[in-house]
Amino acid sequence: MTTSISPPDTVPEEKAATHRMPFWVNQRLGLLVLVIALSVLFGVLRPAFLDQQLVLFPLLRDIATLTVVALAQMVVLSVGHMNLAVGRMAAFGAMFAGLGYDRLGVPMQVGLLMCLAAGAAIGAVTGWLIARTGVSSFVVTLAMDFALLGLVSLMYSSLTDDAAFTTHPAGIDALRSYSLADICAGPICGSPAVPQIAQFTVLAMLALGFLYGCTRIGRELLLTGANPAAAELSGIPTGRRVLLAHTLSGLLAALAGFMAAAGTGTFRASIGDDFMLPSFLGAVLGGTLLTGGVVSVLGTLLGTALVGVIRKGLDLLGVGLESLNIYLGCVLLLALSADRIRTVVSYRKVVRST
Amino acid sequence: MNRLNVTLGQGSWGGSALRRFSRSTAAMLLCVVVVGYVALGIASSGSFFEGPSVRVFLQYLATPILIGLAQMVALCVGQLNLAVGALGGFTACLMGVLMADHGVPAGVAVIVGLLTATAIGLATGVAIVGTQINGFIVTLATMTILLGAQYRLTGTRTVDGYSRTLRDFGTAAPLNIPLVFVTALVAAALLAAFMYRTVAGRRLLAAGGNPLAARLSGISTDRQIVAAHTLSGLLIGVAAVTATASLPGVNRSVGGDWLLPSFAAPIIGGVALTGGSIAVLGTVLAAFVTRLIDAARAQFSLDPSWVNLLIGLVVLGTVAGGRLHQTRLEKSATTDGAVLPQTGGAQ
Repeated sequence: MTTSISPPDTVPEEKAATHRMPFWVNQRLGLLVLVIALSVLFGVLRPAFLDQQLVLFPLLRDIATLTVVALAQMVVLSVGHMNLAVGRMAAFGAMFAGLGYDRLGVPMQVGLLMCLAAGAAIGAVTGWLIARTGVSSFVVTLAMDFALLGLVSLMYSSLTDDAAFTTHPAGIDALRSYSLADICAGPICGSPAVPQIAQFTVLAMLALGFLYGCTRIGRELLLTGANPAAAELSGIPTGRRVLLAHTLSGLLAALAGFMAAAGTGTFRASIGDDFMLPSFLGAVLGGTLLTGGVVSVLGTLLGTALVGVIRKGLDLLGVGLESLNIYLGCVLLLALSADRIRTVVSYRKVVRST
Repeated sequence: MNRLNVTLGQGSWGGSALRRFSRSTAAMLLCVVVVGYVALGIASSGSFFEGPSVRVFLQYLATPILIGLAQMVALCVGQLNLAVGALGGFTACLMGVLMADHGVPAGVAVIVGLLTATAIGLATGVAIVGTQINGFIVTLATMTILLGAQYRLTGTRTVDGYSRTLRDFGTAAPLNIPLVFVTALVAAALLAAFMYRTVAGRRLLAAGGNPLAARLSGISTDRQIVAAHTLSGLLIGVAAVTATASLPGVNRSVGGDWLLPSFAAPIIGGVALTGGSIAVLGTVLAAFVTRLIDAARAQFSLDPSWVNLLIGLVVLGTVAGGRLHQTRLEKSATTDGAVLPQTGGAQ
């Protein structure tokens, strides 16, 4: 079980630690190569793909938001749980930010804090319910999804006229449209392709990387996921770790909701409607195990980037919206089967050579 | 949830404790249904008891029952089926397009629809067993694929020019009991007989309750997983037929709101997510309860969001209450020595 709690940026699979696996088994390296290869391929087929302002900027903004969503999922996956309510928690958090801007006229930062606090609170309630009753996280978050779906749309329809908060606090428009090109150090400016909103993603990734890689609490979260009974017996307060994981997940989901709302400019109930699938895609493609105990922060970014690049590339190639989902589903199955085949093949090779 | 977790299943799944528990859940749900129905009837000053209201109530109850049962079959081997709504919507659209655009007679279209849904269920099961990928992810992928396929079939239009025969079947209601509702009840009865009385049904339950023990006693758990997904696909096919028959038309939004009710019905009905238990009657009654909430919403012309909020709260209450009940049962029994992790960590 010790291998399960290795830091996220070393190869975390059990087999990899016991036998030495060839380097190409590293999932993140494969993902990185795949993302770059696909970007080049799409760039050659459709030069418009490499247009910094019209294609790459929105693409990276989407990836930045969805990475945070996938991180929210990854945190609960690390304790072996799921959060089916990520999208609705995002909507719930964003609603408080919108409420603050529209009714209370708070500055942008205060609204963001309100949003994060609301997300963390609803996550904590979910985590508390799961830890207290011992009911599967799937059911609790599913029911939470139902409840928040109703609650958020009820609140929007009772608080607003057209079911959206449209007040823009100072600074939020800048957050939406500014890229690194707007930050200049003397004559050298950044790339216009990288949106400034990605700062939240970078912060979240650094914080989670630190949590899982360098802290005791992070390792306890992973051990809780790998083997709850063993964790409990080794004196880890698993109930509290579960609570922490769900709180963090709610917080990150709310952050993603804020980013999505800032990206579109309005705070409405439909924020986060399409978050559930990407949240699992990004995390699972990146190497996070559904059974808990293994996470990969960098892999989550790469997994989300892969999905984003494929989506955008197919879109530019003229594949209609209706077929996009078919291809995405197939890609998901293929990627996971390929991963499985790769592990099996390399395992056999290792076994034969020893 | 996944195949590893079912090993943590309840120790007393075959025991009298659980049977008593499931019976009491069904009894409680029956009380809720009766009280709720009477209360609604009184609130609507009697109009809710009249023929047409009863007919409409029961007509739109058929699909929730069937999708709840479809999910229950997947749950009983410890699997999940996220593709319930997508598969149902796809099948409904397929039948609609076949009948409206290609002039296929209703009977043939229904058979094609049922076979397609069953085949897709079979393919899902084979994919799960063959690749050893978690069933959650596989059905997530099939859900995405089917949503795309459904959109491709119908685009943004609503297909409504389909056969009168099927439509008559949807609206036919001798004695104000709609035929689609009878279909759902017959499907539930057949499923119950299959699960409780046949060897194949017992095998499914055994594989879900304790895969290791099932394997040691010569039951192929892989085959049971494939069988459960196939059966789930068939039930979704029947649900798609009833939906196509009773809806005014099919479009790409059909099935979009099936996923949550499909889980709500078995969970409220007392089915354990860890596998190995089923509750056909409980699932049917739970579908009644959710339909009652919907009917009450329409009666008092409230925002549709209330339904989601209330169902969410009911499910949360049910799981918390059921869990407490179970712990009390275990404390009083303390026979099986089943170790249930307090945190529910790996569930």
